[in-house]
Amino acid sequence: MAEGRRRSATTAERLGRMLVIVPYLVQHPGTSLDAASALFGVPAAQLRRDLDLLFLSGLPPYGPGDLIDVDVDEDGCVWIAMADHFARPLRLTRQEALAVTVRATELLATPGVPEAPALASALAKLRVALGADTLGDLAGIAGAEAGGAPPHLEALRQATDGHRRVRIEYVAASTGERSSRTIEPESVFASAGHWYAAAWDVDVDGERLFRIDRIAATEATDVVFEPRGLEGATRPLYTPTADDTAVRLLLRPPARWVAEYYATTDVRVREDGSVEATFPARRTGWIARLLLRLAPDAEPIEPPELADEVRELARQALAVYAG
Amino acid sequence: MAADDTMEPLERLLNLVGLLLETPVPLTFEQIRETLEAYRSDNLDSAKRKFERDKDILREYGVPLEMAGTDAWDVEQGYRIRKDRYYLPEISFTPEEVTALFVAAQSASEETAATRGVRKLLYGADGGLLVGAGSGPLIAGPDARGDRVLAAADAASAHRRIGFGYRTSQGTVSERLVDAYGVVYRGGHWYLVGLDGEREAMRAFRLSRFTTEVADLGEGSAPPEGFRAIDHVEAGPWQPGGEDRAAIAFAPAAAVLAEGAFPGARRTGERPDGRVVLEIPAADEHALAGLVLQYGPDAEVVEPASLRDEVIRRLEAVAGG
Repeated sequence: MAEGRRRSATTAERLGRMLVIVPYLVQHPGTSLDAASALFGVPAAQLRRDLDLLFLSGLPPYGPGDLIDVDVDEDGCVWIAMADHFARPLRLTRQEALAVTVRATELLATPGVPEAPALASALAKLRVALGADTLGDLAGIAGAEAGGAPPHLEALRQATDGHRRVRIEYVAASTGERSSRTIEPESVFASAGHWYAAAWDVDVDGERLFRIDRIAATEATDVVFEPRGLEGATRPLYTPTADDTAVRLLLRPPARWVAEYYATTDVRVREDGSVEATFPARRTGWIARLLLRLAPDAEPIEPPELADEVRELARQALAVYAG
Repeated sequence: MAADDTMEPLERLLNLVGLLLETPVPLTFEQIRETLEAYRSDNLDSAKRKFERDKDILREYGVPLEMAGTDAWDVEQGYRIRKDRYYLPEISFTPEEVTALFVAAQSASEETAATRGVRKLLYGADGGLLVGAGSGPLIAGPDARGDRVLAAADAASAHRRIGFGYRTSQGTVSERLVDAYGVVYRGGHWYLVGLDGEREAMRAFRLSRFTTEVADLGEGSAPPEGFRAIDHVEAGPWQPGGEDRAAIAFAPAAAVLAEGAFPGARRTGERPDGRVVLEIPAADEHALAGLVLQYGPDAEVVEPASLRDEVIRRLEAVAGG
């Protein structure tokens, strides 16, 4: 029975796909299998098999003249005739329309998306066409505008699109130090309200993630690079490594949010509502600064020297005010 | 046509959709069976079961299969698919709009409802333009699971009452009953806004703090006149809350970080010691003091004096005697 269900799920997916791909192929005679495969995310071989089945379907009385005519020519281009009833796609379901709206809302609330104006007008047309019957009351689905785009976003985009090395002045948040780097950016994406570039750092010969609002200056170069296929938006923003120090903190209730904001392990809730959590960190500097902010609601458990580091940081800061 | 016993279900389903779309009158199961060979090969009972499964598949994919009387006297019920409910209405998108939709549908996970929805909108577009546009997702997924955001959006747009477990930022977990009014995306997070039944007040709930799935509890209420969901999701403590501004002198490198971290920050000058002065909107001084402390010796509050005093007091408490 379980197997039967699984098979029917596959059939359902294939049906759903055909009801969407066939209208496209009818509207665009001579589309290549490869293009359709890329556009609709179906392996070309699977698409070919499904089109062969389409060839066997049609309308009553299913004589030779009633069946859909599918021809895939020598160049792999698809020609479909006798499929007027599949010349237009199925309506979007309510779930699909809401999902498009939600996704578009995220993009529209991210400053620096070049497609934003076109997306906003496309969304408006979609709302009108599908109507409240399908969509319900969408007035409550909204994105908050978040400041402006970082000043060097466009420069990074150009370098990424053109596969050109770019020199940047970068400020590391963990140390507050400014450094010059030469990077090969392969992907520019936004995550949790910030823009990032996934790049190969030529100077350290390694993969790095740069937050674009922390780039203080850029200088374009003509050096073309070969992309290595670095992972973009699907990557985790922080990758623990073997060099990490395990920092264990005690977080009292007002500071508990820290445990869910950062990547943590071994979270334990004490009876009084405090939380112990371990933070993998390459450097402890940023954690010392975080503890300075949270004091007295958070304190280090491991390593013990971290408490001295926080105290020293406070003394240095006081010296600034004394001076 | 293929021999009956080897006929693929997909072929049968394509024929069924075509038949029910084109039929001038609703067709009973018996009539469908007479017309479609695929249902004739089995005995009546197993053919019926097959047809029931096929109906489920069609409905799963949003094919609006409906039942109606086969004649004016409604003696017999038959099936049909109404064209006006099946076909996507005509929408004239510009090429830029289709590209933007296509980019929006690029998602971190492979197949989502948004991707499926946008694919339906491509049929009139020039696909050649789009193949290049699909080079990769533009934004990473938000902190909440996509299906949960969708469930919240679903409830809000239909004005449903929902129940869910929720963990506050202080760590207390409780059950909430809420009339869903809206969902808001702010700073990479999704929030549900609605009327909290027990507290009888408008509240915003961060979706990543839900501890259970969203349970539908029936019809809710309509939002009040002039409701704006976005007004109920608090901005960060440094968000403009009024006219208050703080002036903070940052070390040059730290100033670059601060400009990214504080929306609305403005460079107002450079001091002789090389520090860059930023003017920052300051609604909540206590929270702002914490954020300034995180810069350690790289930040110095210039004004207001109350903020400067609080930062010094907190530093002294940590530095000890």
